[in-house]
Amino acid sequence: MDLTRREFLKTSAATATATAAGISVPAAVLAESGKGDADIQWDKGVCRFCGTGCGIMVGTKDGRVVATKGDPDAPVNKGLNCIKGYFNGKIQYGQDRLTQPLMRMKDGKFDKNGKFQAVSWETAFDEMTRQFKKTYNEMGPAGVAVFGSGQYTIPEGYTMAKLMKAGFRSNNIDPNARHCMASAVVAFIQTFGIDEPAGNYDDIEHTDTVITWGANMAECHPILWARVSDRRLTNDNVKLVNLTTISNQTSDIADSEIVFKPGSDLAIQNYLMREIIKRNAVDHDFVKKHCVFATGPYDIGYGMRPTDKYAFEAEKDIQVKELRVTLDKHEAIAQRRKEGEVVEQKNTKKPVKHWMISFEEFKRGVEPYTLDFVAEVSKGDANESMDQYKAKLKALADLYADPKRKVTSFWTMGFNQHYRGSWVNEQIYALHLLLGKQAMPGNGAFSLTGQPSACGTAREVGTFAHRLPADMVVFNPKHRARSEKLWKLPANTLNPKVGSHITKIMRDLEDGSIKWAWVQVNNPFQATANANHWIKAARKMDNFLVVSDPYPTVSAKVADLILPTAMIFEKWGLYGNAERRTQAWRQQVAPPGEAMADVWQHLEFAKRFTLKEVWGEKTVPGLKAKGFEDGKLPDVLAEAQKMGYSPEDTLYDVLFATKDNLKVKWPDTAVAKGHGNHIAEKLGDGWFPEKALFNEYREFGVNFQHDLAEFDVYYGDKVRGLKWPVIDGKETQWRFNEKYDPYCAKGSGFDFYGKALKALPSGDLDKVTKKDKTSLAHKAKIFFRPYAAPPEQPDKNYDLWFSTGRVLEHWHTGTMTRRVPELHRAVPTAQLFMNPDDAEKRGLKRNDLVWIESRRGKIKALLETQGRNRPAPGYTFAAFFDEGVFVNKVCLDVTCPMSKEEDFKKAAIKVYKA
Amino acid sequence: MNDKQQSVRLGPNGKPVRYFVMPDSLSGKLQVWRYLLLRRAVQLGLLLLFFGTVNWDWKIAEQPVLTGNLSSSELLGFLPLADPFAVLQIMLTRQIPQQEVLIGAAIILAAVALIGGRTWCAWVCPLNMVTDLAAWTRRRLGIKDVFILSRQIRYTVLALTLFLSALTGVAAFEWISPISMLHRELIYGIGAGWIAVIGVFLFDLFILRNGWCGHLCPLGAFYAVIGKVALLRIAFDTPTCTHCGECAKICPEPQVLNIKAASVAGMIASGECTNCGRCIAVCPEDTLKFDLRHHIQNQQVPNTTESQQRRAA
Amino acid sequence: MNTKSSTTRRDFLVKMGQGAALAATGGLIWSYLLNQQARATPFAIRPPGALADPDDFNARCIKCGQCVDACPYDTLKLATADAGIPIGTPYFIPREIPCYMCEDIPCLKACPTGAIDPALENIDDSRMGLAVIDIENCLSWQGLRCEICFRECPVQGKAISVEHHPRRISKHAMFVPLVHSSDCTGCGICEKACPTEEAAIRVVQPELVQGKIGDHYRLGWTVDTPITQEFEIRGKPDAGDRAPPTGLDYLNEGPL
Repeated sequence: MDLTRREFLKTSAATATATAAGISVPAAVLAESGKGDADIQWDKGVCRFCGTGCGIMVGTKDGRVVATKGDPDAPVNKGLNCIKGYFNGKIQYGQDRLTQPLMRMKDGKFDKNGKFQAVSWETAFDEMTRQFKKTYNEMGPAGVAVFGSGQYTIPEGYTMAKLMKAGFRSNNIDPNARHCMASAVVAFIQTFGIDEPAGNYDDIEHTDTVITWGANMAECHPILWARVSDRRLTNDNVKLVNLTTISNQTSDIADSEIVFKPGSDLAIQNYLMREIIKRNAVDHDFVKKHCVFATGPYDIGYGMRPTDKYAFEAEKDIQVKELRVTLDKHEAIAQRRKEGEVVEQKNTKKPVKHWMISFEEFKRGVEPYTLDFVAEVSKGDANESMDQYKAKLKALADLYADPKRKVTSFWTMGFNQHYRGSWVNEQIYALHLLLGKQAMPGNGAFSLTGQPSACGTAREVGTFAHRLPADMVVFNPKHRARSEKLWKLPANTLNPKVGSHITKIMRDLEDGSIKWAWVQVNNPFQATANANHWIKAARKMDNFLVVSDPYPTVSAKVADLILPTAMIFEKWGLYGNAERRTQAWRQQVAPPGEAMADVWQHLEFAKRFTLKEVWGEKTVPGLKAKGFEDGKLPDVLAEAQKMGYSPEDTLYDVLFATKDNLKVKWPDTAVAKGHGNHIAEKLGDGWFPEKALFNEYREFGVNFQHDLAEFDVYYGDKVRGLKWPVIDGKETQWRFNEKYDPYCAKGSGFDFYGKALKALPSGDLDKVTKKDKTSLAHKAKIFFRPYAAPPEQPDKNYDLWFSTGRVLEHWHTGTMTRRVPELHRAVPTAQLFMNPDDAEKRGLKRNDLVWIESRRGKIKALLETQGRNRPAPGYTFAAFFDEGVFVNKVCLDVTCPMSKEEDFKKAAIKVYKA
Repeated sequence: MNDKQQSVRLGPNGKPVRYFVMPDSLSGKLQVWRYLLLRRAVQLGLLLLFFGTVNWDWKIAEQPVLTGNLSSSELLGFLPLADPFAVLQIMLTRQIPQQEVLIGAAIILAAVALIGGRTWCAWVCPLNMVTDLAAWTRRRLGIKDVFILSRQIRYTVLALTLFLSALTGVAAFEWISPISMLHRELIYGIGAGWIAVIGVFLFDLFILRNGWCGHLCPLGAFYAVIGKVALLRIAFDTPTCTHCGECAKICPEPQVLNIKAASVAGMIASGECTNCGRCIAVCPEDTLKFDLRHHIQNQQVPNTTESQQRRAA
Repeated sequence: MNTKSSTTRRDFLVKMGQGAALAATGGLIWSYLLNQQARATPFAIRPPGALADPDDFNARCIKCGQCVDACPYDTLKLATADAGIPIGTPYFIPREIPCYMCEDIPCLKACPTGAIDPALENIDDSRMGLAVIDIENCLSWQGLRCEICFRECPVQGKAISVEHHPRRISKHAMFVPLVHSSDCTGCGICEKACPTEEAAIRVVQPELVQGKIGDHYRLGWTVDTPITQEFEIRGKPDAGDRAPPTGLDYLNEGPL
């Protein structure tokens, strides 16, 4: 008998339940349930939460959202939702919704140490403008900053990016998406020369192997996981492998679970590539035609400050690793060096530089990664036998290497939030490219995102400190010129110096080099690691912090001015999900009280600045670029006057309500179909900002590899989003594959046509040997990246690994989900998950209140030794949604030096009874 | 008129009969009220200890002060205390409860044997405050009884309690006891138990004087039976008594103040006496006082002998 | 003298009769009340380890509230007269505060009478009730990704498991929770956590919902039943006494 009894029991139970659930609902029941719905008006919308991008239908009645449902026509979710999506209709009705601007006041005027009081929008903007101008005049564009968001709608991200970059000439705008997928972006750009995945969610239905790496899809991408599970259940050949540092719900349906040590994913990837080469499973034809090999420096630090001036005493022993690292035994082998060797981190300023190497060099690079070595480095569960673990690694190699198998690799924060996040991302592509399993249905490495418009807004619009729309970057003169042309700006208006990334904005606030900041659609003071520093910086330093939010968050609490903001269905908007799908919705209801959408806030703020205040000569410390005087942005007012602008024109006139844009009229009955637009109505000058600005933004991508459809197309009744590039009204399923992607050269088969970083010097594993650049247009890069040890690891004092992340019921910092009573009731607090043996050793038991202490701070949480996460001995986990369990006070603000994305997954802590 | 008559009345001991007069001075009043105040302090104090332990987490040396309620409780985390009557009822349901509660009941029984059975009624029972209030109001308003009921009925109720516990398999009195209801709900949150308490109050006020405690309560009856052997007694100093009757007027169980019997025993021998001390406070001759049984008997012996001698002579 | 004594005797007899009647009437009403109290609502959710037979529990519980004192989560309450539960006894309402299953079971330790059975050593073995899913209103049974009950279950995977099966009308799997009475403690954490407006999973007394397969049958795959190789004859058919033959009524009477 092949089936064990247990398996048999399981299978039979599943069949029985399937039959029960398959029974159709009687028509009478359906009719009954529809009765109260007669006067509900429905419209299509998008789920407010994660990057999956489920379509929903929104039902309104008497000016309130009264119902939502999964959109049965949405290809992503086909009518389903997860439990967060189920509550989309309730998130805007929390009891403590902010409806008036609030400012810290004392004796009738603003005071940093005053108490929040309600003020008018006029007073709010006046103080905000006064403070901005004070800082801007004193410190220039570098002294102000915006915390942006991957939850900005596309028009919101676009207006803010344009206001900051074109208006204020500051690149200090960076989204929380930095903490979410910046590592993925670096790898996309470095590997393919263009951002975002080749494939799409349909890969799930095409593949026979799903490998999840540091992605608890079962909880964090629930609807996609339902698709993966369906694929697994309906086809016996399909295999699932979950690679994780903590056993989780994704393992429940997986065929194999590989629990590895934090950071050792780098070693496992190199083992797999070594195996593939050894087994001669390399698709040499594909590699030769479409790929080159590359590597870069190892001594790139960990994204910390180069000084311990601001560090707490306890932090200093980790801080010093930014300057020099003593190699441990494993790193030494992995990097072909000697144990104990002290490596000065010389390339912290230029971590992204890389050069071509030969296939032979690549082979030499992966050579040390034998099964024995990698198993020793990476085995995460002390209770697992080495033999069993090795067998699992070998089986994983079998799955990847099997030429008959299609393989899709998924990952999220396990890769991205990693001290070498860009490297692990690059290596997953390397693996797929070596095998020729990329950019085809069912084959590919697919980066999942965590926010609803991390792709659509943060990345595509470019609300990053270094980006412009459509994958362009501020330090590229051609990109600046193209942007200036499209934006009708005088030449050299745009600032060529990369601005501060989000962690650096925090550090700049701490050291006083930024004194004015605006937080939007984002709760960075809860969401940024090592939070004790930043909270102190916000409250104790001389600065002015504005927070736009619908609810009082931690960030609002440390702010000086709080602006009440409209939520998703109170405004028009578009989001772009992880599979390049752009989806749109209309305003369904009016915002409550005086709350106004972010776009309006941007436009209204822009009205308060004239060109002469911002386009004169500006000092930018450290600016060094061709065509610019060192440390200076030129005066462009004369040029502006030539273009027909007056120095007295406001930024609103010049950047937003332009002649062309004013032609895009509101009301727009064809698109609006009766829906309101509180922004257009409040502005009152007869234009339709979201539409005008979206269509303006669209110009950046058209014929530039990022084609979006026109605004109106997305609002078509039949359209459920379109995957860009949208060419001749047709979306693109698989990019870089000639069969599906019109951008591919004819006859190429595959064409990695992305334009960034496509000329490289050459060298060996350690250095550049030939400075002449070789063009590698139309090719992708296969990187060799060595294993490097995590900068902070458990030791005698802080003896446990700690990782944070999400739970299915709550989203991010819980601003919305914690205001849904049902979700709050279900998961009221973030527990610390710990192995029961570890708990026993410390004399702790389930539900005990414990202290979690790291070098950076300590917090209290309830202990959980069973349930959804099952850490091996030595590991712990707590989710970050709970303000009451302020996990980021404990987390380490190490970043991937390339992507500047923080590593929330690897801190050392100690736990003891509170 | 009356005063004149009274002033000339002489007691059996030949002394003029005096009556109780409430002193005008506060200190005098306090002297009269001393047992009342002390009883209220004990009743409320206990209630507060129970309440504070549950609701405010009161602790001494890391141990909860007094958990549970009058049915069963634990003092300072180690000393079990339990209502022996409740335990008896449980045992009659043919359940053998755990040792802990048996020890607790034994401790209370021992205490009862020491300080008098119905001392519990006057000094601990929270319902006593309700029935006292009813009795006080009744005296003020001069309400007459609706009917007369034998005080012996409580022994029938007691028997019935035990019988029904055995019959129905649940502790019969515990399930309807207004005492427990009042006490529980004061400590653990208020529900409809008040209705029963108000019922007792109204019954005592309008229908029957001392109706609940003096006639019906099987717990009181149980303690009365046990209390017969108790050590703490109201001693009766026969020679000083003028038969003024003040004690019987104030006594909630006036039948216990049978002067004849008291003279013979030198104390209030009935188990139905609640040791409330009201009689002591109102006695103008200091005839009554708390004392211990063996002490009283030691004194009585020569007395008896003397009277026997006198009779013989 | 004679008359007097006979009057006294009659009075005495009448009094006896009156007393007996009073006792009987009172006793009847009283026992009726007791029965109402004890039996009308036997399905309260009790503390872990509470004696399984409601009669035993009701008899033994002294209503002292020490379990309530001991409960660190304020889960337990004593029933007030209007709670619809035997008065004064401890119970809890899972949707308000469930039992969080303390490993050291303080409520049990506090019980002086054994109404909460000290034989319970492992909290996972407690049986306060049984969770039951209303599959018509359970979101997961409709295909939504909820399964909160599963994830929050303290005996996860055993008391509540999730079975995956294809949804058929789209390429999504359903993740349907199933409760297993073998391991469900009835703590009610699932009921508390259930996000639907009225909980779609509820703790009830197993007697209310549980069926029973006949003793005469074993499910084909549940019990190993190898063919007994050395069969032993045990027990004998009734020998000797000839009982009257059966079936005669049918065979002999009635039309054909």
